[in-house]
Amino acid sequence: MGEAHQDLYDHRGRPRVAITGVGLITPHGRGLAAGWEGVLSCRSAVGRVQRFDPSGFPVTFAAEVADPGFTAVPAEVEPLLGDLKGRLAAACLREALDMAQLPALGARAGVCMGSEAARPDLRDVAVRLRQGIYPPLSELDRMAPHAPTRIAAAMSGATGPCSTVSTACTSSSQAVGEGVLRLRRGEVDAMVVGGVDVLVDPLMITGFALLGALSTRNDAPEAASRPFDAGRDGFVLGEGAGMLVIETFAHARARGAPILGEVSGFGCSCNAYRITDSPPDGRGAWQSMRLALADAGLHAEDIGYVNAHGTSTPMNDASETRGIQRCFGDHTMRVPVSSTKSMTGHLVAACGAVEAIFCLMAARTGLLPPTINLDDPDPECALDHVAHRPREARVRHAMTNAFGFGGSNGTLVVSAP
Amino acid sequence: MTRAAVLAVGLATPLGDDPAAVLEALRSGRVGLRAHPPLAHLPGGALAGVVDGPDLKPWLRRRKDQKIMARASELALAAAGRALAGGGPAAQAALEDLGIFLGVGREPPDDGESEAALAVSAVGGRLDDALLAGPGRDRYPPLLPLRTLPNMALAHISINLGAMGENGAWAGGAGAGLRAVVAGVRAVAEGRCPFALAGGADSLVDLGSARDRLRGGGRGPPGEGAAVLLLGPAGAAGALAELEVGAAAEAWALDAAVAQQMGDLGAACGAVALALAAAGARGSGGGGVSRADPGEPAAHLQVRPPGAC
Repeated sequence: MGEAHQDLYDHRGRPRVAITGVGLITPHGRGLAAGWEGVLSCRSAVGRVQRFDPSGFPVTFAAEVADPGFTAVPAEVEPLLGDLKGRLAAACLREALDMAQLPALGARAGVCMGSEAARPDLRDVAVRLRQGIYPPLSELDRMAPHAPTRIAAAMSGATGPCSTVSTACTSSSQAVGEGVLRLRRGEVDAMVVGGVDVLVDPLMITGFALLGALSTRNDAPEAASRPFDAGRDGFVLGEGAGMLVIETFAHARARGAPILGEVSGFGCSCNAYRITDSPPDGRGAWQSMRLALADAGLHAEDIGYVNAHGTSTPMNDASETRGIQRCFGDHTMRVPVSSTKSMTGHLVAACGAVEAIFCLMAARTGLLPPTINLDDPDPECALDHVAHRPREARVRHAMTNAFGFGGSNGTLVVSAP
Repeated sequence: MTRAAVLAVGLATPLGDDPAAVLEALRSGRVGLRAHPPLAHLPGGALAGVVDGPDLKPWLRRRKDQKIMARASELALAAAGRALAGGGPAAQAALEDLGIFLGVGREPPDDGESEAALAVSAVGGRLDDALLAGPGRDRYPPLLPLRTLPNMALAHISINLGAMGENGAWAGGAGAGLRAVVAGVRAVAEGRCPFALAGGADSLVDLGSARDRLRGGGRGPPGEGAAVLLLGPAGAAGALAELEVGAAAEAWALDAAVAQQMGDLGAACGAVALALAAAGARGSGGGGVSRADPGEPAAHLQVRPPGAC
């Protein structure tokens, strides 16, 4: 009886949250295998922008994804696949739902997506400006932040609580967290959670470059994202999607679903500092990690790997390092840390979910993906870096951070089953 | 049942920011709509529910930050500042764990800056990448991405009021503000935050938002507003009201008047109604407020006088 209870409920007597399906689309390719092999291959997916001619722009490179094409979806959400963001969401959801084999649960299943408004094709906008016409309503519909939520609800048959979290780079981390909270309080038996973002367009590159947030290493794009390196000069815009099917252990066990892993902890915080800057003392990051550990009922020594937010901006990486040092204390140099953004670029609203999946894979395979381009580690970022090549390690619990513009922070703890 | 106490409310509405005065205005049928010249050429007419001000001086840590605030962020900060100031010293002493849960509009407006950049980057209606990289880029305001990120209202509240706890920004329409309050009530009830600022903020009175709303079938005049409730543990002394999540809603008597007399407040409408129901709960007995968005189940909250739950 006791053992069965422990299997289904966590240290606080709440339902444990199982991961039973994942989907991944990253600049390395479509599907979990391509995404995971991509980050283990130590290969940068960053290159010169192909979607438009970037000559003359201050930044000419990004980590783009290939269009996955159309995925079969229920008719009512087909129009939402009219742009790349919708197609990424649908293709990624298809993989996660197929893996989970989740039956349609109606009101006992919900959706929470991390997503922000999509951007229209600028060529269409230019034509409309000349002709003085407004965007069609169908375009407004598919640009809305909650378009991926609607796609997920329709594809999964979920009619329970559905919501869309828009907290910039923290969006999908908080979306996974919201799903965990709903499962623990018994609102639903299963949740489809994750995030999607498509950012590589001329105005986004212009905007983020003008803010000074992007790397300008135009002569060597593959070396541009270099988290924790002394020569880092900004992040690299990326795009992609990460989706998870999560359900209570009791529900997964009852239907015989293979449990891939567990989301065991979630924490989030605000920096209360500045819109674009991270606090030098890493206080918000520390608080987010501390809360996630406490939520999981774990100590710092229990964490076998940290997938850092590690954007490659001078400020984030130093601030996050302070936060990790404060959270892990004497154990800091014994916890391996890497940033997969060194290879994938920054997937913004999707990064939290994508990197949670990388943590899941690290726990399942015992392989830690590296930070590439870490040629000259910044002394201000003293951590046990997994640099240049993957490392073998036995990981029971892994942690992933996501920190957003405006100072929203989210941390997830993902554990082996 | 999941419950929390409402310790204070902060408002920024077309009928003012004093909850008692706004309630009285709603009861007396006073209308907060007025001619709003930017909308003069819209087929729906120029009437809109526009908020005066707000004066952000009491809340801003750095005056220059107002330059990068979208209108909804200004309204949200004013409402949150009032709620926190009205909630007594306990919440102000717990800033490290003070949560922020905010419902926001689908996307803060880009006031035509992107279009201006595109207009100088097109030749015969065809976009020229080289022009976009030159004169187009020169026309693009560097701080625009910061103004148009949907979580910026939350960020400005956190930065200016010092709140560092759990947080979330839910994007959407009428249901977003109530969903945020539900999340705040749960965070307090489940012990993740001792106190939380929860509510919604939106502004639909700029030309682009008003135009898109009309084309999407929106009826009545557009409006703008914000309401933020300071939440604490159920049973807290001095509470204005108690909130209960998911209770069978007995409709709050003045709910419909919010839209009729202030305009469509978008993501803020449910939070404004809820805040007013809470502010007047001792006298009126409270009532239920529900809002839904297409494709998303409704959020329900029941407001009761303190001690009635």
